[in-house]
Amino acid sequence: MSGRALPPEAVRLLSFEDESRLFVKLRATLAWETIRSMLSDARLRLSLVVLLSALFWAALYGLFVEGFGFLDALHAEVISLLFNAFFASLMVMLVFSTGILVYTGMYCSPEARLLLTLPVRAEAIHAHKFREGRWFSSWGFVLLGSPMLTAYGVVRHAAWPYYVVMLPLMISFVFIPASVGSIICTTLVAWMPRLRLHAFTIGVTVACVGAIGLGWSMFSQARVDSMSAAWFERTFARLSVTEQKLFPSWWLSMALIEAARTERDGTLMAASLFESLKFLALLIANALALQHLAGWVAGIAYRKGYSQLAGEIPSRRRRPLRWFDRALGHAGFATGRPLRLLLVKDFRLFRRDISQWSQFAIFFGLLGLYFLNLRAFNYHNAYASMIGYLNLAVVGLILSTFTTRFVYPMISLEGRRFWILGLLPVHRDQIVWSKFLFSFFGSLGPCCSLVLLSDCMLGIPWSLIAQHELCSVMLCMGLSGIAVGLGARMPDLRESSPSKISSGFGGTLSLVISSLFIMATVIAAAVPTHLFLLTHTLGPSVISSHGILAWAGGRWGAIAGGLVVVGLGMTATVVPLVLGLRAFRRLEA
Amino acid sequence: MAIPRGELFALLGPNGAGKTTTIRMLVGLLHPSRGAVRVCGHDLVKDPRAAHLHLGYVPDEPTLYDKLTGREFLWFIADMFGMPQRLATDRIDREIDHFELGEFADDLAESYSLGMKQRLVFAASFLHDPDVLVLDEPMVGLDPRSVRIVKDLLSARTREGMTVFMSTHTLAMAEEMADRVGIMVRGRLRFLGTIAELREQMALESTTLEQLYLEVTSGRGREP
Repeated sequence: MSGRALPPEAVRLLSFEDESRLFVKLRATLAWETIRSMLSDARLRLSLVVLLSALFWAALYGLFVEGFGFLDALHAEVISLLFNAFFASLMVMLVFSTGILVYTGMYCSPEARLLLTLPVRAEAIHAHKFREGRWFSSWGFVLLGSPMLTAYGVVRHAAWPYYVVMLPLMISFVFIPASVGSIICTTLVAWMPRLRLHAFTIGVTVACVGAIGLGWSMFSQARVDSMSAAWFERTFARLSVTEQKLFPSWWLSMALIEAARTERDGTLMAASLFESLKFLALLIANALALQHLAGWVAGIAYRKGYSQLAGEIPSRRRRPLRWFDRALGHAGFATGRPLRLLLVKDFRLFRRDISQWSQFAIFFGLLGLYFLNLRAFNYHNAYASMIGYLNLAVVGLILSTFTTRFVYPMISLEGRRFWILGLLPVHRDQIVWSKFLFSFFGSLGPCCSLVLLSDCMLGIPWSLIAQHELCSVMLCMGLSGIAVGLGARMPDLRESSPSKISSGFGGTLSLVISSLFIMATVIAAAVPTHLFLLTHTLGPSVISSHGILAWAGGRWGAIAGGLVVVGLGMTATVVPLVLGLRAFRRLEA
Repeated sequence: MAIPRGELFALLGPNGAGKTTTIRMLVGLLHPSRGAVRVCGHDLVKDPRAAHLHLGYVPDEPTLYDKLTGREFLWFIADMFGMPQRLATDRIDREIDHFELGEFADDLAESYSLGMKQRLVFAASFLHDPDVLVLDEPMVGLDPRSVRIVKDLLSARTREGMTVFMSTHTLAMAEEMADRVGIMVRGRLRFLGTIAELREQMALESTTLEQLYLEVTSGRGREP
């Protein structure tokens, strides 16, 4: 197409720095506008979320202080081992999650389409979307990591420099796996666009097989000496794979451990601090180099990859599980058919969205692996019971992240299709109920199976297994109710990205309330059991002298605990759903 | 295929013919599997940024930032084209005036209707006085008055030398405004020329563009 060969008057190409500055300015304006609208429209909600998040942080901090105190007294080297294993697994997860977020941000978002038609470098667009992907994939690490590392510093009586270097260490660490994830993503899309799904699946499979192999090698052998010094030595040797000196996770672990070291009188140890700063410099240098490399790869591959992907012709392969959809759609009475058809639609969308089922499979698969290996340890009754409840809480917490990430945004995303649903003979309530049933029945099988597996491996009596199963049913129901109810109460009909919807205020509130609900449920169920076991292990005199404790530790206490669990589950289901249904009926699309 | 300076070209074709794919190649979103796309002599694959300096693009679905006001969005675009502050201020005011955005230019884009969004995207595409303007179904969502504004502006700008490449289903608009039309069917260009040439080739003297279009795209074997 013809025109002047010279650019139009007063128009010029910007330098990379100017482009980056514009994107930073854009991001700041968008963030400020978002905060301003929240401050003016939703002050109460904002205060509630801040308060509950602070409580959540404090609870985590307290938990980690206890945990580090226990481990510190047990084996000092355990901390190093745990840090290495934790940061190494986190590194792998950050590679995957940033890769997925960069993929959706750079290749699937309308914003990318706009930016690619402007005279901007591909590297600058990548830097802009990479910043976003990094933030969304790592905020959880900062939220979880900051109370954990603060608690470690407190337990170790670390001096002030530890707290100063803690955040730069975490941030520089995050850049490394995030950059690797971005490089893998842009490379795959540009040069293996049709194989990206297979490559992702292979990557996940390799990671899972590695984890399974490691777990199996650690726990499959003799179980009689577990938690002994010899067992620890063997475990250290096997976990040494995470202690590679070339791994950024090792640099981070060492930096933290060195920074927390103090002299016996509590004064700062200069040599250790210097060592820690060396690791910080190493992390920063690698983070910068990898980020630069990620930008360079994007410069070569981004436009090519975008074109490959946008020009892809969707395959018309056979869709599996059609029989399931047909059976669900036609089963039951005709009056319930619209609801069942909505369920069929949601199950189809779930199956065809790799980001949903893959994360679900990874997390629940890893949890299953851990539960399978529980028998490797010898537990006393009280320990087995306590671990059983902790496992129940872990299953609930993982489910809550899924209900917040995937179920909470469902109503908001449905709102965008109001022109379809609004014209159908479907009552709005049925839309909300279909989401609830989808989440409840979808989570019931995996959660109850995992809890059963955990309990069987721990050798817990059937009466307790029944109680745990009751708890997991209530957790599935309550967590589904919270996510669907709040999703309908606070829909974000303008946002098309589910990750952004779930990381907004409503999503955060849903996550915090879900966590509190899980804690309350597990405590209500665990306290009577714990008192009952105390009565049987320490003798009745200890408990029977306290009237209420004796009652709580008896049969009636267990029944009352069960009733409280059911009450909590019903409340967590009914209250948010009623609020959500009311709001959704009044909603104007 | 070449489109000279100052021409308004309309690409017609049924759904799925490949119009949007062609448009996406013209703005650099898709790379051609064969051949090259050059805008003012700049290859869109080899030198996309230089080509984009000459290009304005109005997509079929307007993309805006919900948390930016219309004016802030226009400033973002002006900055991306490296326009000096004073010139950018003048041009933003000019386009706000042209597209009658004044009433809502300082509201967040999240409150805009589809038509308002489309007008804002038009304003953004005219900001840097592009040499080539690419429009994908430009009139979707616009009210009759806005359609008139756009038509007048396109006529005036093409007279000044701007090249316009437009895909549309609105045959009346193509008939009224286009210097040449292209008719695309299943990824192939079946016809390229003026409407008079099309009539001549089809040997249908007094027919409307609608009848000609239906004849070409019907697949009954009668080709120009």
